[in-house]
Amino acid sequence: MNGLDLMPLFRGLLWTITLTGGAFLIGSVLAVPLLLARRSRVWLVRFVAMSVIQIVRGIPPILWLFIIFFGLGMGFLPVSPFGAALAGLGLIAAANMAEIYRGALSSIHFGQFEAANALDLGRWSTFRDVVAPQAFRVALPTAASYLIGLMKETAVASTIGVTELAFHGKQMSQLTFRGLEVYALVGLFYIALSLPVAWASRAADSRLRARVAR
Amino acid sequence: MIASDKTLIRLNGLSKHYGRLTVLDGIDLEVKAGEVLAIIGPSGSGKSTLLRCINYLEPPDGGTITVDDIVIDAGNPIGRAALSGLRRRVGMVFQSFNLFPHMSVLRNISLPQERVLGRSRKEADARSMQLLSRVGLADKAEQFPIRCSGGQQQRIAIARALALDPEVMLFDEPTSALDPELGLEVLAVMRELAKSGMTMIVVTHEMGFAENVSDTVMIMADGNIVEKGPSKEIMRNPQHERTKRFLRAVHDR
Amino acid sequence: MLPDFTEITAWMPDLMSGFKISLQVTFFSLLIGIPFGLVLALGVMAKGRVIRAISLFAVEVGRGAPALVLLQFIYVGLPSAGLMVGSFMAAIAALAWNTGAYTSEIIRASLLSIPSGQREAAEALGMKRLDELRFILLPQGLRVALPALLGFSILIFQSTSLCFTIALPELVSRAYEIGSITFRYFPVLLLAGLLYASISIPAALLVDFIEKRAGKFASR
Repeated sequence: MNGLDLMPLFRGLLWTITLTGGAFLIGSVLAVPLLLARRSRVWLVRFVAMSVIQIVRGIPPILWLFIIFFGLGMGFLPVSPFGAALAGLGLIAAANMAEIYRGALSSIHFGQFEAANALDLGRWSTFRDVVAPQAFRVALPTAASYLIGLMKETAVASTIGVTELAFHGKQMSQLTFRGLEVYALVGLFYIALSLPVAWASRAADSRLRARVAR
Repeated sequence: MIASDKTLIRLNGLSKHYGRLTVLDGIDLEVKAGEVLAIIGPSGSGKSTLLRCINYLEPPDGGTITVDDIVIDAGNPIGRAALSGLRRRVGMVFQSFNLFPHMSVLRNISLPQERVLGRSRKEADARSMQLLSRVGLADKAEQFPIRCSGGQQQRIAIARALALDPEVMLFDEPTSALDPELGLEVLAVMRELAKSGMTMIVVTHEMGFAENVSDTVMIMADGNIVEKGPSKEIMRNPQHERTKRFLRAVHDR
Repeated sequence: MLPDFTEITAWMPDLMSGFKISLQVTFFSLLIGIPFGLVLALGVMAKGRVIRAISLFAVEVGRGAPALVLLQFIYVGLPSAGLMVGSFMAAIAALAWNTGAYTSEIIRASLLSIPSGQREAAEALGMKRLDELRFILLPQGLRVALPALLGFSILIFQSTSLCFTIALPELVSRAYEIGSITFRYFPVLLLAGLLYASISIPAALLVDFIEKRAGKFASR
């Protein structure tokens, strides 16, 4: 790899991390009201929430970024490339995280709710002391692998000009005419970035597992 | 009723270890053609492992296995020809039946005949139907295994093994997964099979079968043979303290 | 903000021909990628160390790198190594690789989920390894894998949108082009989104349904 200046890739890496972290944070928070709506007792609310989730997941991420950046950005409400990417990926993350939360909740045996009822714990305590800790443990590995997936998804932000990893890769390959090496490197950067997340998730999972000691 | 004096199976110094744990401690054993041998003993005594080593589902670490004209030295890697010769001569019935859930009962019995013996579909199906009638389940041919009771599934599994015309049948606790009532129908099939002269090695907890159907009973403990002899003698008048203790424990249950 | 009727009729032929290319790329990527996934799954489970290492490498890179980077790698990278590939072929090669890598994990997990007794029974009956795979393991494994494979197929369908970056005239490219000419980005992108959703959403509901039915079947 002699002669390739890697600095741009590291600068891009920083933006990839920022975008991933930001979108994941937005998604994790927005997913909560979305999940509550999804489990609402009112039929209409449930239906709307479900439709939102399906539509967000049913359209490719790149198109969401285009809709926000070009569609809304040109004329309606001007938005920076990074802002558009953050909004689009955050929206997608919210829909996916809501499904992950839902999966975790539904994995809890109904006997747990019955037991909590029988002990007269009350709704809040049932959630905080019984449901949430168990659901968290189930959701953690899924959420971690989603985080890795989201990190790779952020590569689409390069198409609207966010100067993240894939963007610098493209620029570098156009400057040097060494696409094979450049993209191999870029791929390696993404893989390297996913390793600490996978590692942390596994470590956290085994610690939680050890504490519950089933 | 031992049909002949010909030795069909001979094990010499068969041993098996899991790490530092010795599961089989140099087993020597002879089984004559037509003999029905019941192996009993506490769990963890190595009796299932012994059975699974005989047809190489678990490769033993040492010793030799002789089945008919096939001789296998467990110290060396087994060749393809020897392995398929061994499997061809030895049929096996599992505790958990292991029928193929995605095939009809008939396909379960016919497919191995087609793939292993090269029989035509028609030949194989004819043989399958004949065996299904023999175990009393001809009407189940087109059903899927999930629609059959455990006892029926085990009888089908016996038919499946018999369809390959083995010289010896191994039974690994064939009734342990069954309700007592369903176990009886399996035992009835096994008794009929014993009468027909099939050579059988049966790992079992059914003391009635050991005493009344088998010719020979062998007690195992800790990877060793404690004692072995004619079934009535062993069951009624055991010599070893370990055997007495085991039989008492079984009776008290 | 919404497209009006004359716009829709004017844009539709172009969008539909892009949509057709998106579907073609999806079809060929899956057609090549899923059998490739099976090969990789068997490779990862193989006894030979070299085969295992190569398969593992193909899987880790195919899953670890973003599909967009795989596309660029093949489309931009291979020509710089002296191998010209058109954008259509590059799209299929990259997405088939991506498919193979992901589906190999799905297929491997489903093969491992088959009770060990099935293997033992086939072995005890003296069946050859290939027969065991063909008649016993694969039919059961693929049944388990089906919902996940379908779910992944939806993702690959959506991933064809990334082919925008290698100048393949698929749906997003067409929509973007129309947008840049008419400056009516929002309505035309919305229309393209609807076309994607018209496949993705029914397919997702179908997967849900199959999963639920499979769950019921398993709990019987």
